[in-house]
Amino acid sequence: MTHATTLRFPMNRVEGDLEIEAEIAGGLVADAWCSGTMFRGFEQILAGRGALDGLVITPRICGICGTAHLTAASRALDGAAGVEVPDNGLRLRNTALMIEHLQSDMRHAFLMFMADFAGPAYLQHPLHEEAVRRYTPFSGETTIETVHETKKVLEIVAIVGGQWPHSSYMVPGGVVSVPSESDLIQCFHLLARYRRWYEKRVLGCELERWDAIRSAADLDVWLEEKNEHRQSEVGFYLRFARQAGLDAIGKGHGNFLSYGALDLPRQTKVKPVIEGDMRLVPAGFARGAAIEAFDHEKITEHVAHSWFEDPGGARHPLDGSTSPYASGREGDKYSWAKAPRYDGAPAETGPLAEMIVARRPLFLDLLRKAGPTVLVRELARLTRPALLAPVVETWLREMSDDGDGFYNRPGEIVEGVGIGLTHAARGALGHWVKIQDRKIVHYQIITPTAWHASPRDDNGIRGVIEEALVGTPVKDASNPIEIGHVIRSFDPCLVCTVHSVSKHGSRTLIRL
Amino acid sequence: MSCQHERRIICAGNRYVPQDDIGPRVFDCLSRRDLPADVCVIDGGLMGLDLLRFVEGARRVVFVDALQGFAPPDLTVVLGHRAALEERPAAYGHDGGLACLLRMLPAVCGEALPEIALVGSEPPAGEDLIEKLADLSLRIAMGAVVQETRS
Repeated sequence: MTHATTLRFPMNRVEGDLEIEAEIAGGLVADAWCSGTMFRGFEQILAGRGALDGLVITPRICGICGTAHLTAASRALDGAAGVEVPDNGLRLRNTALMIEHLQSDMRHAFLMFMADFAGPAYLQHPLHEEAVRRYTPFSGETTIETVHETKKVLEIVAIVGGQWPHSSYMVPGGVVSVPSESDLIQCFHLLARYRRWYEKRVLGCELERWDAIRSAADLDVWLEEKNEHRQSEVGFYLRFARQAGLDAIGKGHGNFLSYGALDLPRQTKVKPVIEGDMRLVPAGFARGAAIEAFDHEKITEHVAHSWFEDPGGARHPLDGSTSPYASGREGDKYSWAKAPRYDGAPAETGPLAEMIVARRPLFLDLLRKAGPTVLVRELARLTRPALLAPVVETWLREMSDDGDGFYNRPGEIVEGVGIGLTHAARGALGHWVKIQDRKIVHYQIITPTAWHASPRDDNGIRGVIEEALVGTPVKDASNPIEIGHVIRSFDPCLVCTVHSVSKHGSRTLIRL
Repeated sequence: MSCQHERRIICAGNRYVPQDDIGPRVFDCLSRRDLPADVCVIDGGLMGLDLLRFVEGARRVVFVDALQGFAPPDLTVVLGHRAALEERPAAYGHDGGLACLLRMLPAVCGEALPEIALVGSEPPAGEDLIEKLADLSLRIAMGAVVQETRS
């Protein structure tokens, strides 16, 4: 008979409070439960407030994804007001959002995900010493460089937003901050600096060379082509991760969701990725590599296993509610996160989902050959800046040349319904708002982490992280590093809840 | 935007979460006052590492935040330069906030590291305590010798 052990541990290095319970039998994760341990309540805070208040309150949900929440709130109000955003308004909104991605992708990769490579679990790994040099928390060479470079590139958001932090320049109808010619030149310089660092340190090659990689075989050729490629962060990541077995864990359900994001201006040199989809990040839902058209009506939230009042089955966010309910069924209910589903199915979102839905050849090939493993998922995040940076350059240039405006006045929003879909760095983010008599009567938010860290749904189907953990080998239950890799590959961010400074040593955490 | 003042008070926290609203409330309190010309107050929110840009170029920086485990609620806590920088999370994370920033400062700022102090209290905090924290942070920003208090 197999002996089963249950591990419960707080998941640090994620936003807010996430606790994972994993049952381990025969050295493998047999089952897992993912629990958000803190009620957020932003939906309640917003109800009854003025129509535009989501623009100010929702960016404060998160210290990392503030621009993404501002984008979603603005898009929801664009819809409620029935106003179109002029081309330069789109360019500026997109630029700010993409800069947030450029920063977040690198910080997650080098400060959080690869910090594990420098830990004691990998003392015997042949590349451990080099990992320590690069990624030791707070002192590793790559760590410090990443802090410097990502701090610098974020200045673009401060410039185009006219204020930072707590920028509120996005409004229904566009943006109210119009950058001057010298502002745009400064942005060019900041972006050029980031690109130089990214090409030299992260890729070890120019973006164009990376863009030529179309398959797993091409990737292997690239890796062996030059020492610069092998020593780059991507090259080192591939070598370390393969030897650590990250190419075999964390596969999960294999469903991928993209709401679509970054609307293309009507006049732009940037071409749509998928013909007919006028967004840089196309929308779609994929079961494996089989991609279907996206329909927002198919999004529902389940609460059978969440500490919320059940409105009578799964509901679309415009019809659902967020009423805390923590009595009666504690045996079944175990999370303050709801369970979002698309067409009844759990779905992964984020950089890998974006690559699959956009039919990026390299990632489709990796998916076919190995599945959506930890290695592939993190590779997608690590290399997304290669797609975004050149587009930001183009849109900064077009902002300078295009005489089109930044803002169309929407008029007062007395009544309306708005759906604000976009992508945060971690994946699909949605705001749903109903306005009556100039007041918000209903607001629902589904974050990317709600998709990933969801509990089981009404049908008992596991959430994305829960499913991805099943089958994960655990060599050392006192330091289950493999579980940490799987969870962190989704970059969970359970919103900004409490951020107090704790006295050193006052809490005992099992560090993953 | 960056700040040109030599003395800066950076208030961190989330004004929509009662357990984390001490920093923003001190910010509001200081914003209502006439401050000396070389002092600026910054609503640092949840920006964590991104607050680095407000530290660079300063002579003295006072952080204000909700604190946990240093002293019972209703007491003010002050940590001087060395003690503040000793607050060491094991690793950077989404939840790291100010603790990660403090830990990262010496490596990132090098010799340009300004004098640092950390002022705060364990939540919840009444209005009197917020006023007291505002007074304290302003005095320290203006150059008062830091008298460390902690349990």
